[in-house]
Amino acid sequence: MSALAPDPRFVSQAPGPGQRSPFLRRLAHASEPWLYSAPALILIVAVMLVPLVLGISYAFRDVRLLNPFSGGYVGLQHFHELARDKAFWGALKNTLWWTGASVFLQFFLGLFLALLLDKPFYGRGIAQALCFLPWAVPSFLSGLNWAWLFNPVVGPLPHWMVSLGLMSQPENILSDPTLAMWGPIIANVWWGIPFFAITLLAALQSIPRDLYEAAAIDGAGGVQRFFSITLPFLAPTIAITVLLRTVWISNFADLIVVMTSGGPANRTQIVASYIFTQAFKKLDFGYASAVALVLLVLLLAYSMLIVLLRQSLLKKG
Amino acid sequence: MASIGISGVRKSYAQFPVLHGVDLEIADGEFVVLVGPSGCGKSTLLRMIAGLEDITEGDISIAGTRVNDLDPKDRDIAMVFQSYALYPHMNVAGNMSYSLRLRRTAKDKIAGIVTAAARKLGLDPLMERRPRALSGGQRQRVAMGRAIVRQPKAFLFDEPLSNLDARLREQMRGEIKKLHQDLGATSIYVTHDQIEAMTLADRIVAMNAGLIQQVGTPLELYDRPANLFVAGFIGSPGMNVLTGRYEGQTADIARLVLDHGPAIPLGRAYPLTDGTPVSLGIRPEHLELSPAGGAGLAARIELVEPTGFGTILHLVTPGTSSIALKGFTLDRAAAGASREVSLGFPPERLHLFVEEKRVEPAS
Repeated sequence: MSALAPDPRFVSQAPGPGQRSPFLRRLAHASEPWLYSAPALILIVAVMLVPLVLGISYAFRDVRLLNPFSGGYVGLQHFHELARDKAFWGALKNTLWWTGASVFLQFFLGLFLALLLDKPFYGRGIAQALCFLPWAVPSFLSGLNWAWLFNPVVGPLPHWMVSLGLMSQPENILSDPTLAMWGPIIANVWWGIPFFAITLLAALQSIPRDLYEAAAIDGAGGVQRFFSITLPFLAPTIAITVLLRTVWISNFADLIVVMTSGGPANRTQIVASYIFTQAFKKLDFGYASAVALVLLVLLLAYSMLIVLLRQSLLKKG
Repeated sequence: MASIGISGVRKSYAQFPVLHGVDLEIADGEFVVLVGPSGCGKSTLLRMIAGLEDITEGDISIAGTRVNDLDPKDRDIAMVFQSYALYPHMNVAGNMSYSLRLRRTAKDKIAGIVTAAARKLGLDPLMERRPRALSGGQRQRVAMGRAIVRQPKAFLFDEPLSNLDARLREQMRGEIKKLHQDLGATSIYVTHDQIEAMTLADRIVAMNAGLIQQVGTPLELYDRPANLFVAGFIGSPGMNVLTGRYEGQTADIARLVLDHGPAIPLGRAYPLTDGTPVSLGIRPEHLELSPAGGAGLAARIELVEPTGFGTILHLVTPGTSSIALKGFTLDRAAAGASREVSLGFPPERLHLFVEEKRVEPAS
């Protein structure tokens, strides 16, 4: 090779096929990030979107497990039925009652517990651990346990209530149509208090102590300190936990299915347990999907409302 | 405004004592600074005056009334915290008026007081802001505004400037001093910064390990430190301390024989027997530098730290048992590294300590 010949490493190559078609190159560039994230995206679509779309499609089809000829498209027929379904409207009312009472009691008792656990006392570590124990019990077990507790044959609660004069004779409140809803609600409150206690306690402990000291010097009593320091600090946590719990509890059928199966006379039937009954007892998957779709829309609307409320509060604050 | 009395105050946390008996009288309108290294108990003492800590033993009185069992709010004091402790959910006006609102002061009266305080502190344009939208110095001002609106009997400051940068600290220091001149309120100020202590205080209370070491005006502590701790704590760079033995019973022969080396003439006789182990203190700014070969202690300038205003010199005496000293000079020309010098110890600038305690010369 002559000494004057250019070093082949520094000579530009002849234009390759890629450069000759800039469109393909642009396409490759544009799709590059998608190709990298494709494995994750495909997984998400396969695991989340496909079942969701399939489930929604059931709502518009006649899917009954016991009828081999079902599966056809029925349009809005399920929704017309739903509008006339007294059990569904009852379940919707019960859902409001069940969710409202459960969240209300869980929140206030959880807040109370968190405030107690925030104060230093001897054996606080043990007390904290014990208070958070119900959270570790599977909901199914706790439902069974509470069902037995309310049963006058094996459980003490009815006898205690008679002794306290709350009841004339030991009866199972789960079989009393006017009282039955209180059974699952009490079980749910017992089971759900730790959630609020844990999250609110964490929020409480992040409040700087010298704020309380400054307020004490400024002349604020305990109640005033709670309203001017504790509550404003807890507000964001309260908003987000109450929102989450409301959605979870309205979807939460375990305790009801285990304790009452929606009975007596559908008096404890909530929409979630109604879906379970339609799908797995009547094996009418199409109708159950339609009910589920309505619940989904209601919960989405509720969540959007809360998110909007939060945004406007944040903007103001 | 009021005097504050502290007598025989002790504090222990579960058998672990942190204050071992503190006695202090603070006069009406006085600005007292508690100064000491961290962990010396100064903040604990302040918090006990505020009512945020229980008093294990002893009495604290404000304006002649024993306050041991009173709640903080009933002691009529105001406190400025290191973290400012502003209420984050209230704006500046809300923070400043909170204590007045709690006392159900009339609305127009609150507005008047808060506006006056805000004007005094230059906070007028910030009244609608939340604390998180304020700079450190502004937050500090709001904290002070919150304290002054109540016109309390006493102000307590717990290291209020520690979170500010050096420039701002200097500025706020001046503002606090001016505020005290305007209001004339009894103030107790806790700091570990001796410059803050020196510049602000009517009297400094130097504390260490749960005990008061010395109480006096800033210049008393600087000129006549009661013990080695105060000598070392007040002044920057810190005082040089040489150890040795005392010798000579008359002024012309009194001298300090250094442990491993030459003797330093003291120029004055001290009521000590010959051979008493003593510590000799001299501040860096009082060491006299003269060209090598003079009468004083021979030394070499090892390191030079110019501060602009003057120069800090790191000095080493020659020989195997060399002593390290610090000097401070305004003479830039004299401050060349690795220069040989001779150190003079002017007698009136010397501090003698026996077993950590100051010894005065025999008169």
